[in-house]
Amino acid sequence: MVELLILLIKLFVVFNLIMGLASICTWIERKGSALIQDRVGANRAGAFVETDNILLKPVFYVLRVLGMLGIINTLVNDGVKALTKEDFVPEGVSNFMHSLAPFLAVFPVFVAFALLPFAPDFTVSGYHIRAQVAPLDAGLLFIFAMGSMAVYGVALAGWTGNNKFSLLGGLRAAAQMISYELAMGVTFVTVIITYGTLDLYEIVERQQYGLGILATITQPISFIILFVVGMAETKRGPFDLPESESELVAGYFTEYSGMKFLLFWLGEFAEIALFAAIIVLLFFGGWKIPFVELPAGSWLSALIGHAVLMGKILFFCVLQIVLRWTLPRFRYDQLMHLGWKILLPLSMVNLVVAAALKVL
Amino acid sequence: MTYIFLLLALVMVASALAVVTLHNPLHSALALILNLLTVAALFAALDAHFLAAVQIIVYAGAIMVLVVFLLMLLNIKTEKPKPMGKFLFVLSAAVGVSFLALCIPAFNEAFRIFPDPVHELEGTVKAMGRILYTEYVFPFEAASVLILAAIVGAVMLAKRSYSKGSGHGSN
Repeated sequence: MVELLILLIKLFVVFNLIMGLASICTWIERKGSALIQDRVGANRAGAFVETDNILLKPVFYVLRVLGMLGIINTLVNDGVKALTKEDFVPEGVSNFMHSLAPFLAVFPVFVAFALLPFAPDFTVSGYHIRAQVAPLDAGLLFIFAMGSMAVYGVALAGWTGNNKFSLLGGLRAAAQMISYELAMGVTFVTVIITYGTLDLYEIVERQQYGLGILATITQPISFIILFVVGMAETKRGPFDLPESESELVAGYFTEYSGMKFLLFWLGEFAEIALFAAIIVLLFFGGWKIPFVELPAGSWLSALIGHAVLMGKILFFCVLQIVLRWTLPRFRYDQLMHLGWKILLPLSMVNLVVAAALKVL
Repeated sequence: MTYIFLLLALVMVASALAVVTLHNPLHSALALILNLLTVAALFAALDAHFLAAVQIIVYAGAIMVLVVFLLMLLNIKTEKPKPMGKFLFVLSAAVGVSFLALCIPAFNEAFRIFPDPVHELEGTVKAMGRILYTEYVFPFEAASVLILAAIVGAVMLAKRSYSKGSGHGSN
């Protein structure tokens, strides 16, 4: 009974973690892109609220600050707008398939989050708790499996759009994700060989000083490959050909509006957070602080570890967003060239080197 | 465990039926993906997590992505069901009934014993790897040679059509 309760609490926490990370990423994208492009960005909603009630004055002051920072705009207004918008379904498309696509795009990302550990183990009143919804032996493989499921959402969205732009966007997305998945799989194998385990918790524990990236000479290369692949798999940054607005209107989600469109958005930002989390867990020691040893088992050190992990994840989220707003879009042949002729051979060589280092 | 198995089996059979009865090829492909995912879920319910992950990666991930990709690329239209001739109907009914009769003994056996979860260590990656590289090392290596032959064959076919094709195509 208590185990079930613990599991439900874990589910609740992880679900809110995804939502929180996704909304923070949305806000950073909104305001950060304004900062990068020398604009002001969202600063109106809630910025002018006034009251005469002396008790409510502090509350309204906070609201004004939040409004000026654009937080109310991104978190409240966008959601309300999406919920109240007309839900448009193109002609000649089954409503079921059209609604299925956004769910298929979001579902694998959420499942993958269930496999990530979010804090070191701790003990609360006799119960040993691992901050991971599904502590699986084959954790990393399952994340890869979920990554390969993410293609269907965008492919189906492109197909149910029932027009050429959507279809082209869906095809581009599918081709891009298949191409970069190969390098991702090989690099995952490299990391697995380096650490000798697939269990993500165990991988973090095996990183000395929390600096897994310096464990062997193959690790920095694996990190670079995984980071590039992560940006390509989220279909953002210089890899946003599937939704390139100057050619394809909006790509695979051209025909989506309202909440379904927001689901695609949510999935995209959750995927950014997912790849940031994977990179932090594999290469940057997860919840470990370099050269600082926290006492194991207490809930306080688990909380500190969780905060450290979140800080690292947010850093990589911001890095991805900054890169997205900095770099120009690739040409399609450059994209394929990078995936098949540079990243894949590089990851293969990396794998051989890692295996040789392990045997020697 | 039994209830989970029954539920999964129900979804599995329903999606398998949907694969053959749906007229739109893409709908059939999606039903097939659901079917393969349920098989993976069954593996996971039996504590064989490694097999479940591989089932998703190889079948539901890699192979079905190619199928869906091709269906989208070729833009195959919905199939019109053709009226079946009397002879064909009798023939297919006979084949179906005889296959079912063949299956009944096997079903009898299968329904009497519900599968138990594997021993805790048997489902782990380590145990799987050990078995693959000791007991089943010959089939394992033979399968990899077979896959290599398929890759070489695919490259050969692709290259041949390129060199013969005149005009555009810069390879």
